[in-house]
Amino acid sequence: MASSVFYKWASRKDESRVQFDGTGITVFDLKREIILSNNLVKGNDFDVHVYDPATNQELRDDAHIIPRSSSVIAKRLPVFRPAKSRIPIYIGNAPGAIPTSDTVIRGTTTWHKGALSKRFDGKEEPSPLKPA
Amino acid sequence: MSDQATLSVTMLGAGQEVGRSCCVLQYRGRTIVCDAGVHPAYSGMASLPFIDNLDWSTVDCILITHFHLDHAAALTYITEKTNFKDGKGKVYMTHPTKAVHKFMMQDFARMSSSTSDALFSPMDMEMSIVSIIPVSVHQLINVCPGVSFTPYHAGHVLGACMYLIDIAGLKILYTGDYSREEDRHLVKAELPPLRPDVLIVESTYGVHSLEGRDEKEGRFTNLVHSIIRRGGHVLLPAFALGRAQELLLILDEYWKKHPELHNVPIYYASNLAKKCMAVYQTFIHTMNSNIRTRFAKRDNPFVFKHISNVPSTRGWEKKIAEGPPCVVLASPGFMQVGPSRELLELWAPDARNGLIITGYSIEGTLARDIMTEPEEFTGLKGNTIPRKISVDYISFSAHVDYAQNSEFIQAVKAQHVILVHGEQNTMGRLRAAMTSKYKERDEDVKIHTPRNLETLNLSFRGERVAKAIGT
Ligand SMILES: [Zn+2]
Ligand SMILES: [Zn+2]
Repeated sequence: MASSVFYKWASRKDESRVQFDGTGITVFDLKREIILSNNLVKGNDFDVHVYDPATNQELRDDAHIIPRSSSVIAKRLPVFRPAKSRIPIYIGNAPGAIPTSDTVIRGTTTWHKGALSKRFDGKEEPSPLKPA
Repeated sequence: MSDQATLSVTMLGAGQEVGRSCCVLQYRGRTIVCDAGVHPAYSGMASLPFIDNLDWSTVDCILITHFHLDHAAALTYITEKTNFKDGKGKVYMTHPTKAVHKFMMQDFARMSSSTSDALFSPMDMEMSIVSIIPVSVHQLINVCPGVSFTPYHAGHVLGACMYLIDIAGLKILYTGDYSREEDRHLVKAELPPLRPDVLIVESTYGVHSLEGRDEKEGRFTNLVHSIIRRGGHVLLPAFALGRAQELLLILDEYWKKHPELHNVPIYYASNLAKKCMAVYQTFIHTMNSNIRTRFAKRDNPFVFKHISNVPSTRGWEKKIAEGPPCVVLASPGFMQVGPSRELLELWAPDARNGLIITGYSIEGTLARDIMTEPEEFTGLKGNTIPRKISVDYISFSAHVDYAQNSEFIQAVKAQHVILVHGEQNTMGRLRAAMTSKYKERDEDVKIHTPRNLETLNLSFRGERVAKAIGT
């Protein structure tokens, strides 16, 4: 059965969610799903940040695991040199992530449903793409 | 020092860039947002201003300067998708801006729904539009205790205005896009009658000079004529509204004077524009004397004699492209997708054809890239298309150039000048030029160029504000 983590863009009224199998999702994979499901793959002048809504602390550690059914706040904040955007890091191996043309079709109302490549059994299994 | 208050200015967009204008002013507990645009080089959420750091329910008002997408198209998202409506915030724009904004947004929603990058539904759009309060130029509007504003003509496009904002006695002039040259249909931007403390001004053209109107129009019509003489098609990518009307007025008049061109059709490829012609006709009284006099003589300048609408049948682009020489004004101006892109791809391989870029082209768009005259470019289907079509750039974009902008900035006499709506380097050069100008004269004027989300804090003492009121 699919698990969910909810995220709310800081400026938005409503919440969205990311679905996955297992008991939690890493910050890395959550960000990746947020980027994909909002069609932010071609972004080069911003980064997506996520925050713990209770403490307002940014969840900076990509390996950190967010337990299922919890909520986070997401923000899109500018970076000043395109090369510094970390968006490509998160979508490095995403299907359809190659920016071919202006018409990469991806819904904003439905979230990415593709199978995640990782298992989530609560144990550490760092993503091979995790930046140093 | 107790009576010192700080004005915070935060650009959510258009800070050292052109696109997604959105400027937040905070002073003595009040919050005013000027413009809410999208970035034309991006789509979907990536095109929005950086709206995540503001609690939109605290906003007292949103003031929209004009109907261009880079100033107004994020409004629906902000009013319908954020918590803006949980607060008491109001939205204002001029009557003509509201009338055109409605059509612009319908078109915008239709275009973006086809790419599933839609940020909102047609319903959201309707809800957003009904909540807009239309205002007249020169009308003093009281928003809430301590906040009022007056719109002044900005030239640029129909309905465009600058806002002179008063927050608890502090006066801020926000220009939006503006032009200081009267063109064929609009009045030029006005100099407000009193001296603001802060001027927030566009800097699109930085230290560039634009050619004079007659020179520019002459070059344009000659070029169009010579492309037709060599048996080519002329492509004029332009936004459906705004400068397109000016180009049509110029072409219509030129055709009238050149009977040999009467068998050469000028097509205007925009359903949106057809709808908006009614708005242009309604607001003739806001235009300049040239237009008003013609209208008074029952010569409606917006009833064009030599311009035809393209057939609204599928595949018209191909039909026209394969036909005899003609002129086509097609949107969008940046040629990302749509009729202008399709025609470009069809006409690019033939050297007889000509492309004339008539407006400012934002970084990252094909209209900008093609100005470097590449040997080839990539088509929408991923194919490589040779570029033999001639490429020329004649700007009709109705922004101030260096001479006009620096003259206006000096005439406004604000102590703080904040440059917005300009690319980083362009803006940097303008800042350097203005700084040395003031230094020569030993005047203490501060020029700021904040980046997006880099809050600028300006302190004002109580007396200074009181003094400003008296002048
Ligand atoms: Zn504009
Ligand atoms: Zn603009």
